[in-house]
Amino acid sequence: MALQDWKQHKRPFAAIASGPILWLLLFFLVPMTVVWLYSFGQNSGPAEISITGTLDNYKRATEWLYLSIFGKSLAVAALVTVICLVIGFPVAMAITFASEKWRPWLLVAIMLPFWTNLLIRTYALMMLMGSNGYANRGLGAMWDGASWLKTLVGLQPLEAWTPVQLLYNNFAVVLGLVYVHLPFMVLPLYSALDRLDKSLIEASLDLGAGHLRTLFKIVVPLAMPGIMAGVMITLIPALGAYLTPDLMGGTDSQMIANVIERQFKRANDWPFGAALSFLLIYAMFILVALQSMRGDKAKAGER
Amino acid sequence: MSEFDKIVSKGLGRRSLLQALGATAVGISFTGLAACSKEAAKEPTKSAATTRIAATGEEPKLNFYNWDTYIGETTLADFKGLGGAEVNMTLFASNDELFAKLRAGNAGYDVIVPSNDFVERMAAADMLVPLDHSLIPNFQNIAPEYQDVPYDPKRKHSMPYTWLTLGIGYRKSKVKAVPDSWKVIFDSDEYKGRIAVLSEAGDMFRLYAKYLGKSVNGLTKDDIKIIEAMMIKQKPNFKAFHEDNGQDLLLKGEVDLVMEYNGDIAQAMAEDDDIGFVLPKEGSQFNSDNLCIPKGAPRPKNAHAFINYLLDAEAGKKITETILYPTPNAAAKALMPDEYKNNPVVFPAAEQLAKCEYAKYNPELQPLYEEAFTRVRAA
Amino acid sequence: MALFKRTPIAPLDYTRKLWMRGWVGATLLFLYAPLLVLMVFSFNDSKRNAVWKGFTFKYYEKAFANSSLVEAMVNSLTIALLATVISVVLGALAGVLLWRFRFPFKGAVEGVMSLPIIVPEICLGVAMLIFFAKIDWPTGLPWPLNLSAITIAHITFCFPFVAMVVRSRMASFNREQEEAAKDLGASEWETFRDILLPHMKPGLIAGALLAFTLSLDDFVITFFTSGPDTVTFPVKVYSMVRFSVTPEVNAASTILILLTIALTAVALKVQGVKGIAETH
Repeated sequence: MALQDWKQHKRPFAAIASGPILWLLLFFLVPMTVVWLYSFGQNSGPAEISITGTLDNYKRATEWLYLSIFGKSLAVAALVTVICLVIGFPVAMAITFASEKWRPWLLVAIMLPFWTNLLIRTYALMMLMGSNGYANRGLGAMWDGASWLKTLVGLQPLEAWTPVQLLYNNFAVVLGLVYVHLPFMVLPLYSALDRLDKSLIEASLDLGAGHLRTLFKIVVPLAMPGIMAGVMITLIPALGAYLTPDLMGGTDSQMIANVIERQFKRANDWPFGAALSFLLIYAMFILVALQSMRGDKAKAGER
Repeated sequence: MSEFDKIVSKGLGRRSLLQALGATAVGISFTGLAACSKEAAKEPTKSAATTRIAATGEEPKLNFYNWDTYIGETTLADFKGLGGAEVNMTLFASNDELFAKLRAGNAGYDVIVPSNDFVERMAAADMLVPLDHSLIPNFQNIAPEYQDVPYDPKRKHSMPYTWLTLGIGYRKSKVKAVPDSWKVIFDSDEYKGRIAVLSEAGDMFRLYAKYLGKSVNGLTKDDIKIIEAMMIKQKPNFKAFHEDNGQDLLLKGEVDLVMEYNGDIAQAMAEDDDIGFVLPKEGSQFNSDNLCIPKGAPRPKNAHAFINYLLDAEAGKKITETILYPTPNAAAKALMPDEYKNNPVVFPAAEQLAKCEYAKYNPELQPLYEEAFTRVRAA
Repeated sequence: MALFKRTPIAPLDYTRKLWMRGWVGATLLFLYAPLLVLMVFSFNDSKRNAVWKGFTFKYYEKAFANSSLVEAMVNSLTIALLATVISVVLGALAGVLLWRFRFPFKGAVEGVMSLPIIVPEICLGVAMLIFFAKIDWPTGLPWPLNLSAITIAHITFCFPFVAMVVRSRMASFNREQEEAAKDLGASEWETFRDILLPHMKPGLIAGALLAFTLSLDDFVITFFTSGPDTVTFPVKVYSMVRFSVTPEVNAASTILILLTIALTAVALKVQGVKGIAETH
C-alpha cells in the first residue's frame, strides 16, 4: 500500500495529526522529560532532587545485579507471551469462525473477566491455589480417590497427600500473568484473523494440505501483523508487571518492575528508579524498533 | 454522617482484616470488648467525658488520610456530633505510598498517620506543620513515656496514636517449642518452608541486628554485608516475604511462623486459639503510628481539633476497642477492660519492652539496606 | 457418527470441531473460575473468605450503604467512559496517521507513540504526579472536573493501545476502495466516514474494549494522580484489601461486573449485535 506524502495532502494530514501529536507532546513527553532529567540527578535531602548531570545512576543500573533481574523478567515475560499465544490463537480462531450469532458474545465473554479489579481477581486466584485452596483440595480428593481405587484392586494405597505448592513460587507468577494478559492477546489476533480471506484457506485445504500445514503456511503469515501486535501488547506489560509477582511470588520471584517500584517508594531514590525505568524503556524501545523494521522489510519483500 | 459509620464498620486492625465483631463469636478473652463495640455500633453515643468542640472558624471539613480500619466505629460521627468538622477519611496502605504522594505537594490532606521513622523523615524534609500544643490539651492523657520520644523530641510534629512491637507469631500445634528467639526464623532450618518474614528491608536488617546482639540503629556497612549473607543462606527456609499480611498466612495455614506486629497477632489470636505470639528474648523494634498535619493543610485548626479529639480518653477507648492495638493513651487504657490491659501480647512485660528500641531514620543506611535486600531477593 | 451432527462440519467450520470447543471451554473455565468463586463468596456469611459459612445478603447491603465505595465506583466508571471515548478518537486518528502518511520524523513519532505502552506504570504515575504538581493543576474542582487529572493520565496510556489495534486492522485495507471513492467524487471527509471508518470498526470496537478495561482497572497511575476527593474503585479496593479480602469487597466487585455487563448489553443493542464482529 503506497503511503501518501504529507505534503500533497496537507489539510487532512494536519487534521489527523494534530490531536494525537499535541496530546503526546503535552501530557506525555513533558512529564517524562522531567523524570528523565531526574535520572541524571541525585537526592539532595529526603524530598528534594538536584539535577547534577551525573551518570552514577545509570552506572549503578547496569550492574550485574540489575541486569540479571532484568534478564529474568524478560524470560518470564517471554514465557508468558508464548503461553498466551498458544492458548489464545485457537480461541481467536474459534471466535473468527464462529457463527455471526455467537461471535460478539464470545468476544465479550473473553473480555469480561478483565473488568474485575486486578487485585480481587488475584486474591480469588490465590484462594483457589493456596495450600488449603480448592485446587489443592480437588487434587487431594482425586489423589485419595486414586488411592482408594488402588486398594480396591489390592495394591498398596498411595502415600498421604501433601498439598502441591501452587502459590508463592514462579509457577504462580507465570500462571497469574497468563491469567491477566490472555485477552490482550486474543483481541488483536481476532482483529487480524477476521480480515483474513477465508477462500485462501479453503484453497489450501482443497489442494491437499492438512489443517496444520495450512495453519502454519497460510494463516500465520497472513495474520502476522496481528500476531506481532498481540505479542507486543502482551510482552511489554508482562515485563512491567509488579502487582502479580508481588502478591503471588515466592522469595525468588522478583521482577524488574518490583525493583523499580521499590526505588520510587521504599528506597525513596527517585533518580535511581528513573534511571532503571529508562534503561528498561530504551531496551523495549529497541525491541519495538527491531520488530517494526522487520515488518517494513517483510512488506517491502512482498512486492 | 452515617457514611463514616459504614466506612469503618467493616472491622478492625490497621493492617489486617480480623474483625472485632468476629471476635464476639470466637474470642474468649475479648468477649467483653466485643460487647462494648457492638453497642457502639448501634448509635453514636455522646459520653459525658467529652466536651463540646469549639468552632474553629474554618470550613467544617477535614480530609483524614489514614490506614484501613484504623479508627473507631463511631469516632468520626461522634466528632461531628460534638460540633467538629465533617471528616472525609481516605485510605492508604503503606508509609512509602503516603510519602511518595505527599512529596510533590499536598493535595488537600489535613491529618495523616505516618509511622515513627516516617515522622522523622517527613520532618527532615519539611513536610510537617509544627503542632500547637495549646490546641491539644488532651496531650496530658498520653502516658509519660510517649510524651517525648527520640524520633520527635517534645512531640513537635506528631501525637502518638498507637504503638507496636515486632515479634514472632506461631501456630502452637505445629511448633516443637515456643520460638522465643529470632534464631528460629533467622538462622535455622528447623521449620524449612514454613516461615514468612516482612518484605520491608529496613525492618529486616534492624531485627537481624537485634539477633546479633546489636542496637537497631548501630549497624555498620560491614554488618550489612554479614547480614546479607545470612539472609541469603536462610532464604530457602522462607516461604514468602509478606507485606504485613502475615497473620493472614498464619491463619490460612500457609506458614507456621511469621514475623509480625503484636497487634495483628492479637487479632489473629481472637479468631484462632492455636495461634500464639512471642517477643523474642534478644529484643525487638518499637513502632508507633502518629497523627501529623502535613504542610499545606487547608484547615489546620480543624486538624488540631480532630487530633485533640482522638486523644480524648473516651474517644481513645472506642478506637482501641475497635482496633485492639496497644495504645499510648494512658487515660483511654484505664477505661479498657482488664482482659485488654493484661493481655501479654498487646502489652508485653516491661523487661521485654526494655530491650526494644525505636528505629531511627538513617538516610545513609536506608539505601544500603534496600540495595542489599534487592540482592537477597535476586539470589 | 453422522447421527450426532445435524449438518456435517465444513472444513472451515473450526468452531464446531470438538477439540476446538473443548479448548475454548477450558480457557473460559480458567478465566471464570476465580470470578465465580469471587461472586459465590460475596454471599458468604463470614468476615473472611477462607471458608464458607452460610448464605447472606448483608454484604451487599453494606456495600450499597458504603457511600465512599459507591462514590469510588461512580468515579471509576465515569473516568473509564470519558477516557475510552477520547482514547478511541485519538487512537483512530493516530492509527490512520501512521498507516496512511509518509512524513519527516515518522519513525520518531511511531516510537514516541509506543512509549506509553512500554513505560513502567509507576514511572508514568510519578511523572504525572510531578507534572500536575509543577503546573499547579487546580485541585478541588467540582465533580466531574476534579477527575480531569486522572482522566488525562488514563487517556495518555490508553490511546496508543487503540492506535496499535487500529493500525493493525487498517493493514488489511484495500486502498483501491479509497481511490475509487475519490474518483467517484467523494471528499476527504466523506471518504473517511464512509469507506475507512466501516473497515476500521472492528478495530475501533476492539480498541474501545481494551481502553475501557485498562482504564477501569488501572491502579498505579490513578493512585498518583488522585487526591482525597477523587478516589477510584481500584485505589479504594487496594487500600481496603491490601491484606485480606472481605465479602463486602466481593459484593462491590460483583456489582461492578454486573454494571459493566449491563452497559455492554446496552452498547450491543444500540450498535446492533452483529456490528461488533462484522466480517467486512
